[in-house]
This record gives sequence, C-alpha cells and structure tokens, in this order.
Amino acid sequence: MFDNLRTFIDKIKPTFVKGGKFGWLQSTFEAFETFAFTPNTVTARGSHVRDAVDMKRAMITVVIALVPALLFGMWNIGYQTSLHAEAWPFELGTAASWWYCLWFGFLRMLPLIVVSYIVGLGIEFMFAQIRHHEVNEGYLVTGLIIPMIVPVTTPLWQLALAVAFAVVIGKEVFGGSGMNFLNPALVARAFLFFSYPTHMSGDSVWIAADLWGTDAIAGATPMGQLAAGLSPSASALDMFIGTIPGSTCETSVIAILLGAIVLLVSGIGSWRVMLSVVLGGGLMGLLFNAIGANAYMQLPFYYHFLMGGFAFGAVFMATDPVTSAQTNTGKWIYGFLIGAFAVLLRVLNPAYPEGMMLSILLMNCFAPLIDHLVVGRNIKMRECRAVRKEVQQ
Amino acid sequence: MIKIKKGLDLPIEGAAERRISDACGVSLFAVKPTDYVGLVPRLLVAEGDKVSAGDALFCDKNDERIRFASPVNGEVKTVVRGEKRKLLAVVVQASANAPTIDETSHSRINVSDTEALRSRMLEEGLWPLLRQRPFGTVAGPDSSPKAIVVSCFDSAPLAPDYDYVMQGREGDFCTGLETLAALTEGSLFVTFRPGQQLARTVEQHVASHLKNVKVEYFDGPHPAGNVGTQIARLCPINKGDTVWTVTVQDVATIGHWVATGVYHPIRVIAVAGPQARNPHYYRTLAGASVETLVRAQILNPTYPALQAGGNNSGSVRVVSGNVLSGTCIGLDGFIGAYDSLLTLLPEGNYYDFMGWLLPGFKKHSFSRTFMSGFVPQCMVKAFTMLPDCLKPNFDTNLHGGVRPLVFTGNFERVFPFDIYPLQLLKACIIGDIELMEKLGIYEVEPEDFALCEYIDPSKTDIQPIIREALEKLRKEAI
Repeated sequence: MFDNLRTFIDKIKPTFVKGGKFGWLQSTFEAFETFAFTPNTVTARGSHVRDAVDMKRAMITVVIALVPALLFGMWNIGYQTSLHAEAWPFELGTAASWWYCLWFGFLRMLPLIVVSYIVGLGIEFMFAQIRHHEVNEGYLVTGLIIPMIVPVTTPLWQLALAVAFAVVIGKEVFGGSGMNFLNPALVARAFLFFSYPTHMSGDSVWIAADLWGTDAIAGATPMGQLAAGLSPSASALDMFIGTIPGSTCETSVIAILLGAIVLLVSGIGSWRVMLSVVLGGGLMGLLFNAIGANAYMQLPFYYHFLMGGFAFGAVFMATDPVTSAQTNTGKWIYGFLIGAFAVLLRVLNPAYPEGMMLSILLMNCFAPLIDHLVVGRNIKMRECRAVRKEVQQ
Repeated sequence: MIKIKKGLDLPIEGAAERRISDACGVSLFAVKPTDYVGLVPRLLVAEGDKVSAGDALFCDKNDERIRFASPVNGEVKTVVRGEKRKLLAVVVQASANAPTIDETSHSRINVSDTEALRSRMLEEGLWPLLRQRPFGTVAGPDSSPKAIVVSCFDSAPLAPDYDYVMQGREGDFCTGLETLAALTEGSLFVTFRPGQQLARTVEQHVASHLKNVKVEYFDGPHPAGNVGTQIARLCPINKGDTVWTVTVQDVATIGHWVATGVYHPIRVIAVAGPQARNPHYYRTLAGASVETLVRAQILNPTYPALQAGGNNSGSVRVVSGNVLSGTCIGLDGFIGAYDSLLTLLPEGNYYDFMGWLLPGFKKHSFSRTFMSGFVPQCMVKAFTMLPDCLKPNFDTNLHGGVRPLVFTGNFERVFPFDIYPLQLLKACIIGDIELMEKLGIYEVEPEDFALCEYIDPSKTDIQPIIREALEKLRKEAI
C-alpha cells in the first residue's frame, strides 16, 4: 500500500513543481508529501549522518504531551454540564455517564479544534506558498493549544478571528515560526480577552448549556471568586484533579503533569523554565502569605499552582523555545519572573483575574533582553581573559 | 585529568579491528589543495614530470615558501582541475621501487637551530603538516604559536585507535615531539585518554627531559578528543593568538624525517563503517588512492549504483575522516591530508513512510522522541550485543526538512566550550564580525560544531556556516 501511495505521489509530483500545472501549490503539495513520507534528501554539506529527530517529530511530541490535558478537558466539559440536569442531553446517573461526559465534551471541543486548524493552517499554507517556503510544523501545536485555553462557549467566529490575528500579527509578519517573539497561542487568547471581555471572563462563560450553542451556565471559577473577594468554593484536591469550571483543557493539574513528563523525558520541553516558573510563583506566593493583608494574600501559596492557567502556562506556554529566553541562565531568570509576575498580577490586580497569560507575554518581550545580559557576561569574561593575558606579558 | 561532560558518542557499527594489512595495490597518490583551508595553489609540476618523495608539487601563492610535497617517488600522472580551472589534485603514479632511505647521504637533522629547522621544513614540504588555529589554515611560517597541541586519541565515531596505529613508530613519534617542542617558546601539549600506552612512552622519553612538553589527560564522550575542546581547556585562544595543531601520524612523519632526512609519510588508515565488510587497518602513505581499499570492503563491488567521481548518487558514501566532519571523496578519491580514517556509509536516499510518527526503535536520536531513546545506555554502549531490531541505523538521510532554528538549549548539551553556540551561529549567519569575535569565533573550527549539527532538529548545515564565517574573518584580517 505504501509503495502504491509512493508511486502515486511520484506520478503527480511533476505537476506540482515549478513550471508544472499546479506549480503555485508547490508548498501545499510538499506539506502533504512530507506528511506521508519523510523525504529522501541526503546530507550534502557538513555532518554526513543526522539525528532522526526533525521538526515534525518534535512538534508531534508536544501534541502527544497535550493529549492527557485534552482528553481530561473534554471529559470535564461534559462533567460540568452534567452537574446541571436541565441542560444535560443524556440520561443522568447511568453507568455510561462517564462516556457521555467525554462524548459531550468531544462534540463541544471538535468545532473549536477544527476551526482553529482550518483557519490557522490555511493562513500558514498561504504564507508558505507566497514565500515559496515549506510549511512549518509549528502550527500543529499552536492550533491545538488555542482551543484548549479558551472558554468552551467561545463563539467560533471569534475564535477564527483570534486565530487569524495570532498567526498573521503574532507570527507571520515576523517571518513565521522561529522568528516570532510572542507566543502565538497567547496572542490569540489575549486578542479574545481584550476584544470580547464578556465572552472571556466572568462567571457565565465556562460551562456549556447545550450541545451546540454558545449559551452558558453560571459557574464560578476559583480565580473569579478570589478576584471578587470571596474564597474559592472548590477544594485544593478538586483543583488538582481538575473537576472545576475553567478554560476547556487547563483545569487538571494531573493531566498537565502527565504532559510535563512527556516533554521532560523527551527533552523537548525545558525543565529549567518549568522549575523556575514554579519557584518564582511559589516564592511570590510565600511573600504574599507573609504580608497577609487580605484574603487573597492569605491564600496558601500552592493554590496558585492549582488555579487557573498557571500549570498549563508553565508546562506548555512558558517553555515555547522560540519565545522564551534562549540561554540556559536566561531561562532560569525568564521562568522565575513569569511565575512571580503571574502571582503578583493575580493578587494585586483584580481587573485581570488570570495573571499567567499577561505574565508570559510580558516576559516574552523581555526574553531577548535577558539573553542579551547573559551573553554579555560571557563576552566580558572573554575580554577579561584577553586583557589578563596582555598584563601577564 | 580533565573530564569532559558534554558531548555524545554515536553507536555506529563497523569499528576497525586491530589487524593491519599492507595496501599493496595502491599506486596512485594525490596531494589535494582542497584539503588545506583557504589555500591558493601555484602548480610547480606538469603531467609526466618525474618526482621523488619530498619534491614540491605546488606551493602557496600567498607565501611561496610553503611547499606541498609528493609522498612518493614516481611520475605526475594527472593534474585534476575543476570549474574555472581550479586545481583540485595532483596525482602521482608511484614508481615500482619503494623509496629507499640512504642512511649515509643523510644525517640526522639538527633540531636546536630553530631557524634552520623551519626553513628546512618549508623547503622539504613538511610545513603543511602544521596547522594553526584560528582559521584552520596551514601554520604561518613566521608565526610563533603560544602553544602546540597534539591530540593522541580520537573520540569521533569509528575513530582509529592511535595506540595501535603508532605501534612500532614510537621512536619517530618521540623525535617528532622533540622537534615540535623546539618550534615553540610556549608549551607543547600532548593529550591522551587515561591509560593509553603511548602516554607512558611520551612521559618517559620526552616529557621527562623537555620542560615545555606537557602530557595532559582528557576523558569523556566525543568531542573530548578534538583539539578544539582541548585547546579551550588548556590554552584558550584570544584574538591575536595562534595555536598550532599536528596530527599524531604527522608527528611521526616529522620525527622520521628528522631522524633520516627523508620525507616518508607513512599513514595507517582505519577503514570502517556500516558498509565495510571486514573493517580493519591498512598501512599506506599519505594521499593514497582509496579505490582498492574500498572495493575490497563493499559487499557487492559490482553493485550498479556504485559510481565513481565523488558524487552522492551511489549506494555507498566514501568519507575521508569521520562521519561528523569528514569529506565525501567518492570511490576514486584520495585520503585527506589530515585524515587517518575512511568511513563507508550507506546512502540514505529513501522515503520513510510516516517517519515522524512511527515508534522508531532503530533510529538514533539525542532527544528521547523515539523508542530508541529508551534502550538503556549500557546496552547501547556495547551495541554489538544489541538485537538487530534495536541496532540503530546510520545513513546519510537528512531525516527531515530544513527549518528555521526553533529549538534552544540542545546545542549546549553537546558543546563543551564556554561559548554560546546558538548565539555564535546566529552571529555567523548574519555575518556580524564584531559580534562573532566577541562570542569567541577564534576558539572554534567547524568540526567543533559537528555534534550540534548532528542533533539539530531544524537540519541546518552548521559547519559550512562556521567555515564561511571564519574565512570571512581571515580575509578581513589580511
């Protein structure tokens, strides 16, 4: 079968190369061809053998790491709705209700994912085609993350707009994946957050009221309650497991930790960033505990790791290699400041209940500066060494 | 002992057995200007000329004192030229009678007179054996290096074992070291892995009575044996410094010349690699034609796709040097001027169905994104014991498409320098000379970046970028 497919591809290939009938679709064709077959290119210059990992493999590893959170998120969408009998389309209390929850969530999640991929990849293919580049795999991850960090009731047209904005302004204007300085998925979320605040925050966006519409049921998130000066109604264990209202797939710390294990074991995600985000957030939380001026400050520091998008941001967003600091020392500083600013924003600025998104975007902007300072130290070391030598002579 | 922690050993099959045979069938020898970085040659012979070992075939147009000598007695067979009549190689057909060493007419060369030694080395074609850093060119005849480094072990994949290669030539090697020690006012560093036999010989016979000869030990994964790694630890290069490097076998060649006055560059070559049928060592001379050696190794010498001419279309790639930084020379090629290893690699021009998705038990990767990453390291180290289904495959497939540099923090794990590799690479790509200098370009050669290039998921050809950047700097400096 593979041989037949290969023969077929080789047969139609000439029409898609430059000068062929569909030459203008070359990048698109290549994207699909390399999707099916790793190309037969051999090394020409430099090292004769190469590592088996390529961008596709690296990106698919991140997608695999996202799967636990995605599955749990789907189930949780159904579970949250099923808590409200009037909206639940299935029979309540049956043995199969676990599957119903997943099925309900899957049906709710699917349109979001499909829209995100179609719009995002469509734009990516267009840009690749215009530039005569190969299509970059970066959007495989971004396109999945975006639906995972928005409320389940987000209207599809808003999502489509946000995706388009993120891909064009967040990435392609800088030259595509690897050249952008802001995390595109967070650009999409920030776009939604500032353009359609009523659809993105408040109590009545997190729980789907029915299978298809954008109607929602009121259900407060812990962060929303805290911002309103209340104490969270969910227990720490609920937040850890993730059975609370929230953005589609970011509620379960357990599922996110599974993803973190995949990223760390494969070596794709940076342990330095993850660890330092937690350290930064924890220290800032402890500092607030020590001050203890209001209820939010008195909240045990580890609650910050469990609530909202902290865990998801630390594992999947802060570690984005393109927009994070690139030096190892820089990664420590970058991650630490993300954690610290996220908690700072949460506690001191009730207008933005979720500090993680803004904190990561802020540090994305400062990552090049951090690297500049870190590399500057290396440059200084080299200069000192040369001067020392001259003095010796 | 200096322990190198960062690096990577590739478990490639086909290391050379400790067995040596004389490469009798080899009668063609070549000196290739392309082996020498930045060299503009001026041809001194014509086809049909009779030459004897040590006679200059061409010289450096920029400094005509640097002459490149024929390794054998014989006749200039062809002068190979490429595009724009660029001189690619001067091929010498060895005459049947082996070079005889006339002990009476030659006397031992006096090493103590450094000026005379330098001019004789230049005159008799031994100077190109000395290379300098930065830039990796032939050493400047007037330069005084702050140190000379001789790395007596090679940590690269399938590398020859120099303890074995040098058996019987220890005397020449020690003489060569004494000669080198006379050429510098700085130190002569001779580096070994712990436990090497050659180290004991050097410590007893050279380091004991020559103050500026220092024996150093390095341990750890590749690139522990690269001179670049060692220089960075022993005597880091600042702007304006030069450090010379000489390969082990060339030290012996110099020693033999000093002892007898004859240029007789014996070269023991390890023929190895996944495509080699019985990988072992061959004794021949520098610049030997590899065709007879390779034909004896390939499973099916008449395989139709096997083509001569240095192109990539064959089924076997003949690499002079190691798989990471060697040169593709083709079946009819000649061993590189500084190489002691010939690697036979399968070409990887095949399509891999869903290669990015399948578990990949046989795919080697520094990352743990394939199942192969979960085979215990101790098993991989003794990879001859691995079952076939777990043996990593190495071929020349690029394993993916070229992408912008996206991932960070990987290079640092295989790059044992106090340099930021990604930042330096980017400075080289944009051609910012000042930034390159600040980030330490003088301390590196392309081969130091070979492992970064190997593990890079974006498949950037890093070594050519570094070479071009260094050449740009060198031309600025002239």
